[in-house]
Amino acid sequence: MLLKLAWRNIWRNKRRSIIVLISIVVGLTAIVLTDGLSNGMIRQMLFNQVNLDISHLQIHKAGFNSNKVIKNFIPDYQHVESILKSNPEVAAYSKRVFATGILSSANNSSGVIIYGIDPEEEARVSIIKSSIVEGKYLSGSKREIIIGKKLAEKLGVDVGDKVVAMSNTLKGDIGSDAFRVAGIFQTANSEFDKMTVYIVAGAEQEMLNTGDNYHEFAVILKDYNNVTSIKSKLESALGSRYEVFTYKDLLPLFIFQMDLYKESMMILNIIIGLALIFGIVNTMLMSVFERIREFGVLMAIGMRNSKLYLMILFEAFMLGILGTLVGLVCGLLLDIPLAHSGINLSLFATGLESFGIGAIIYPVLSVGNLINAALFMPFVAVLGALYPAYKAIKLEPIYAINYV
Amino acid sequence: MEILKAERLVKIYQDNGVPVSALNNINLTVSKGEYVVIAGPSGSGKTTLLNLLGALDKPTEGRIYFEGEDITTKDKNELSKIRLHKLGFIFQAYNLIPVLTAIENIEFSMMLLGISDKERKEKALALMDELGIKELANKRPNEMSGGQQQRVAVARAIVNNPSVVLADEPTANLDSVTAGHLLDLMEQMNSEKNITFIFSSHDKNVIDRAKRLIILKDGRIDN
Repeated sequence: MLLKLAWRNIWRNKRRSIIVLISIVVGLTAIVLTDGLSNGMIRQMLFNQVNLDISHLQIHKAGFNSNKVIKNFIPDYQHVESILKSNPEVAAYSKRVFATGILSSANNSSGVIIYGIDPEEEARVSIIKSSIVEGKYLSGSKREIIIGKKLAEKLGVDVGDKVVAMSNTLKGDIGSDAFRVAGIFQTANSEFDKMTVYIVAGAEQEMLNTGDNYHEFAVILKDYNNVTSIKSKLESALGSRYEVFTYKDLLPLFIFQMDLYKESMMILNIIIGLALIFGIVNTMLMSVFERIREFGVLMAIGMRNSKLYLMILFEAFMLGILGTLVGLVCGLLLDIPLAHSGINLSLFATGLESFGIGAIIYPVLSVGNLINAALFMPFVAVLGALYPAYKAIKLEPIYAINYV
Repeated sequence: MEILKAERLVKIYQDNGVPVSALNNINLTVSKGEYVVIAGPSGSGKTTLLNLLGALDKPTEGRIYFEGEDITTKDKNELSKIRLHKLGFIFQAYNLIPVLTAIENIEFSMMLLGISDKERKEKALALMDELGIKELANKRPNEMSGGQQQRVAVARAIVNNPSVVLADEPTANLDSVTAGHLLDLMEQMNSEKNITFIFSSHDKNVIDRAKRLIILKDGRIDN
């Protein structure tokens, strides 16, 4: 009956309750949308980073990551390959040779990272094949190269044009080779597109004189949530001559940024909550002051302060629940279509690309975020009602009954 | 059997820092089943005395014993408990909860006692039937006349079988015919259920029916 009374009290002043409800609904819709958007951005950033060159796991010769020199190639790559092949949790892997160097055209030159890959293997671990926007992916020919669109623009080259790659060889002298641009790729990361080129591993091994050796295994897992445990398993299987890194180890700054971003979204939610609290305090105070005489009657007929307090909190809680339900529905109605069509932020494309995010963001809603949002508003509403409820129970029955 | 006893009651209010004596040395004893009217002109201290006897206010001096227990030393929660279990109130302005129907208003104090939903309904309906207001069960206060509201208020006051019902000017807002019916009802409850009634009133109808009349004048008992 206390709940029934609280519910009916909400609707005594419909206009006022609806205004509070609208503010809760707008607040919650904003939270659901921003949460979805930020999740989408984080997921996209992570997806792009992992699927461009980082992968879920990387395996190198021990010490390679802190000293990326050509001679630090994997001691026995067949051994690594056999372990990866026998691991059921590994979805795909790609062997890579790489070096830093210069890529020159007839017009210009630019510093680049030259990846030597097996085109078929690489296509299974990265999105580079699907990012080709002009020409074609590597066919396996040693004279082919694919480059980023930004780099192609800088060098003034197009598909079919000739470029020359240069890099230090294993012996310390300069190795160079001429290639034809087979394809131009464009990813969501413009910095990556400016800096990265791909050739066939055999061509790079010849250019660098590294023989049949590789620097890196890029590994994609069936379930990246198990990345830490799989890393441990691989480390113990491979032994101390190798190092295994997860994408979290390789992208500490990025992981930090993601955490920072999540925290900033939480702060935004708290700000929205604070703004709502003031509205709810105001409304509940008005509602309490309007009913002083009635509270006096309730006290006179024996209602204890604790029940009176609870009744006022119930009113706020119900407003919070109602606002949450409507807000979640509104948020989902906005979010679900956007999760399919995406939000076009091409106006900020340049800035977003430098962060490794595409111009179209697809909001992602997680059940956890929805649960948090669903709990947040009733909590905020109850918090906003604490002071008005306190004011109500501090009333003396005799004063309250005679209040005009 | 003595149910209420007031000893040397004094109540002094502060009116803008000026002490105003509302009750001065009141001694009073009420026995179980009495039908008492406290009468007197406006400002004589009727409502103040009723509020003190009803554990809604505390005296400046003196003691009030309810069923032998000193209630002037009780805290807020203990007084709430006494009001819930032992007392019933009828107000001049009816003071029903506007968002509850008649039956819900009557059920409310039973809910505070923790009585089950089913039992509450049965008891409330039986009492409404007895008081002839069963047809008002699902009406809200704003759908009822003053007389009907006051009958519901009477039902609310007696539904928990209180020892004492305190009625502050219960007929003040009613016409004489309706007031007469209401007084009939309370007299009936007094004689049939042996409920003690204490009224404060300056309504001649109420005073004429008093089985015991206490006249207050300037905060003192005048008879």
